[in-house]
Amino acid sequence: MLAVYKRDLRAYFTSPLGYVFIAAFLIITNLVFLVTNLLTGNNAIGTVYTVILYILIIIVPVLTMRTFSEDYKQRTDQLLLTAPVKASGIVMGKFLAAYTVYCIALLFTIIYVIIVAAVGDVNMASIVGNYIALLGVATVYISIGCFISSLTENQLVSAIATLGVFAALFILDMAYSLVNVDWIKTVLYWVSIFRRYNTFYLGVFSVADFFYYISISAVFIFLTVRVLEKKRWS
Amino acid sequence: MTEGGPNTDQEGINRMIEVSGLTKTYGKKRGIDRLNFTINDGEIVGFLGPNGAGKSTTMNIITGYLSANSGAARIGGIDVLEDPVAAKRNIGYLPEQPPLYLDMTVEEYLNFIYDLKGVKEFARKAHIAEICELVGLKDHYKRLIRNLSKGYKQRVGLAQALIGNPEVLILDEPTVGLDPKQIIEIRNVIKNLGKNRTIILSTHILQEVSAICERVLVINNGQIVADDRPDNLSALITGDRKLVVRVAGPKDTVRHILRSIEGVQFADVTVQSEKGSYDFLVEAKPNVDIRKPMFTALAKAGYPILQLKSMDLSLEDIFIKLTEDKKKVKTSQNKQPKKAKPAEPAAETKPAEENDSFDSLDVNMSGADFDFDEKESEN
Repeated sequence: MLAVYKRDLRAYFTSPLGYVFIAAFLIITNLVFLVTNLLTGNNAIGTVYTVILYILIIIVPVLTMRTFSEDYKQRTDQLLLTAPVKASGIVMGKFLAAYTVYCIALLFTIIYVIIVAAVGDVNMASIVGNYIALLGVATVYISIGCFISSLTENQLVSAIATLGVFAALFILDMAYSLVNVDWIKTVLYWVSIFRRYNTFYLGVFSVADFFYYISISAVFIFLTVRVLEKKRWS
Repeated sequence: MTEGGPNTDQEGINRMIEVSGLTKTYGKKRGIDRLNFTINDGEIVGFLGPNGAGKSTTMNIITGYLSANSGAARIGGIDVLEDPVAAKRNIGYLPEQPPLYLDMTVEEYLNFIYDLKGVKEFARKAHIAEICELVGLKDHYKRLIRNLSKGYKQRVGLAQALIGNPEVLILDEPTVGLDPKQIIEIRNVIKNLGKNRTIILSTHILQEVSAICERVLVINNGQIVADDRPDNLSALITGDRKLVVRVAGPKDTVRHILRSIEGVQFADVTVQSEKGSYDFLVEAKPNVDIRKPMFTALAKAGYPILQLKSMDLSLEDIFIKLTEDKKKVKTSQNKQPKKAKPAEPAAETKPAEENDSFDSLDVNMSGADFDFDEKESEN
């Protein structure tokens, strides 16, 4: 697992992909921080974190599109699958590499906290909660991206399909506030990764919601492992 | 199959690779069909077969990349399906297309493979350096794989297979795409490696098998058509019986002379090669050397032989030959006397009929395989 992780992480930074991801992430968050906090003199950083939730819809597909697709294309999956490692090790290695790139990007946003803390008060508890939530929610995004990438050998198809799935989740989330039927609302709440973020945004650390994220990503990681194992039966 | 021990037969020879009843279908098409063979420790075995015969499929199954629909493959006594990680640890695999990360240097790539295989027995630097020396990559160690030529990429692929010193090497067409000098080099490398390893390599080149292998498995349409030493096989398949003779002289007279030589089964003009001389295709009866009588006869008549060579056999010819021989064995065993022999020589010499006869031979191959199984168990 470690070997795959190290190789993939390295590959993000020997190609433009890792840099593009981090740059895109930071340009948007910086703008949001500038507008909502710096220019208005507001000390609530929460908005930046909520925006990150939506930025990820667009940029995570770029991050995960190559995880498996590129291996299929280069036939290096043959190398990985005939090496003495388990499929789960391969998937975890690739997942964690993508996740690490995201964490690096997220790390830069701590600067906002420092800036705000230097000139005003910050609610540290709420900020820590927000970071934990952002770490949790990204596991869902990235595991879905990895899963879709494991289904195709075309990176572009992988990226667009991932974007499509995220957009669908986003629309379901919007539907939640438009629908008045109770049971539909309940179902929609199950699948809404955004809605669950609200509690974190409000400064409440919800263990249940955090585990919701972790479980959803565990499901997709498991599915990805199954896809890899199924390949040999094709 | 084995009763004496986990993977040892009565004589104490280790059975490194055991394949039994392996079948793989792609939709309705059969990739390989009830494949059975055993490869002992330290053997270099060649898989010989035309494209699409099932060589790569077999290799992919042995290495655990694909799964068979039925049957089992064991490496050193470990079933590839039951304990894939342990089985794969014994295998170094070079697929048809070397699985290279183009964005890495040779150094980074080989270090990655070292980590991926979890090698512990050998010190990293010395081990990788030794392998690079062996496959001739030393001068390209720091280069990006993307920028290497096809031959060097192949070497990197081979180096990758060697990391961790696996007991079994499986090489899928290791010399394809290389220039003649590189082919010879890689063949020598493989031969050297074979001194203390079990190697399976696939090829569709006849010479390669006789140059490297101690044993040949001929595969066609997913079945083993022959299993023998290359020298035995080459006695069977050499083109001695078919000769191409260039004779200076009038074609009808020369043809008449050739046909009148004892032992000649067939003789005819193929092309006019130079002015006043013709190429003749001459086929001898089995086990007759007609070269000397042919020389004397033509010399006596005053028509000099300008060139004499045995005709190169293509793989297809060999399959026809092999299956034909199996059939003869069968007819002699009175199993299937229906197939009449006289049709065969005609089919062999007239290309137009070759297709028809080939089909009928295909149908017969399952029977041929069965014969082979019997032979194996007798041993």
